[in-house]
Amino acid sequence: MGRTIHITVNGMTEEVPENATLEFLIEHFREADPALIVELNGRYIYAREYSTTRVAENDRMELIHPDFGG
Amino acid sequence: MSRNERGSLTGEQEIRYRRQLAIPEIGEKGQIRLGRATVMIVGLGGLGSVSSFYLAAAGVGSLRIVDHDTVSLDNLNRQLLHSTADLDRPKTESATEKLRSLNPECSVEPVRVRVAEDNGFNLAEGCDLLLDATDNLATRRVLNRISLARRIPLIYGGINGWNGSAATFVPGETGCLSCLFPSRDLGAPATGFPVVGPAAGVIGSIQSVEAIRILLGMKPALANRLLKFQGKSMKFRTIHVEKDPACPHCGPSREE
Repeated sequence: MGRTIHITVNGMTEEVPENATLEFLIEHFREADPALIVELNGRYIYAREYSTTRVAENDRMELIHPDFGG
Repeated sequence: MSRNERGSLTGEQEIRYRRQLAIPEIGEKGQIRLGRATVMIVGLGGLGSVSSFYLAAAGVGSLRIVDHDTVSLDNLNRQLLHSTADLDRPKTESATEKLRSLNPECSVEPVRVRVAEDNGFNLAEGCDLLLDATDNLATRRVLNRISLARRIPLIYGGINGWNGSAATFVPGETGCLSCLFPSRDLGAPATGFPVVGPAAGVIGSIQSVEAIRILLGMKPALANRLLKFQGKSMKFRTIHVEKDPACPHCGPSREE
């Protein structure tokens, strides 16, 4: 890992590579789920933006897995 | 209630609905409004058991309840509308009996089919609201298309393990279910998913509150929001979600 930054993921502080994309982080935190919902600093991120959206120091990332049973 | 054309409540209705008539947003006017509403509930499992029961109790005029399945023993940890004596009966039959017994004023219309592209659009005829109580994303996608084509609000609910999720989609106002779940590879039915019974109660109840709000003409509380219930940590979280301008279903380039 090169330079790192600190971000908050689901309320926990995490050390991640600088300029990491959401796509990388979803893989990194083993959160891969085709229905995953991602919020970054209170903003909803479309799935098609995961590969181009990068995190910065102190960003707040929320990962939500929706439920589909009944 | 739906049969009462006089536009006022009967003495019995005033007693039956007394506790909710006292709520400022309901009152006699709201109660009459509920009595004139038709809601389609798809799925009579854990979620549909709870929402159909609450909506019938609240005096919703007509409930179109849809399910193709029969009651099995492993349903009974959460599907409160059915009991051991109902094993192997169609869920629509078991549910109709309980709902009519709870509130004979509610017109219950059982439809024993599996909702699909070729029957769903007709099923929703005359409905004011669609309540998703299904157990798989493929059927939810069909409900989304019906909601968009007929411009009927859709209240999504889902459960898994200790958790549950809910959101409301209002055609023309909010994003649709496909904005939130765009991935194409989610079609596998979730058979035998684990679930703590009360998680269904939490989400089914939340869907019922939202349904009553919408039928009363109040602003949907879960529009552009995904509510997530986490029973293990006993937390609720909400995520602000948005309409996707590039959505192939509700965006400008919609397929419909």
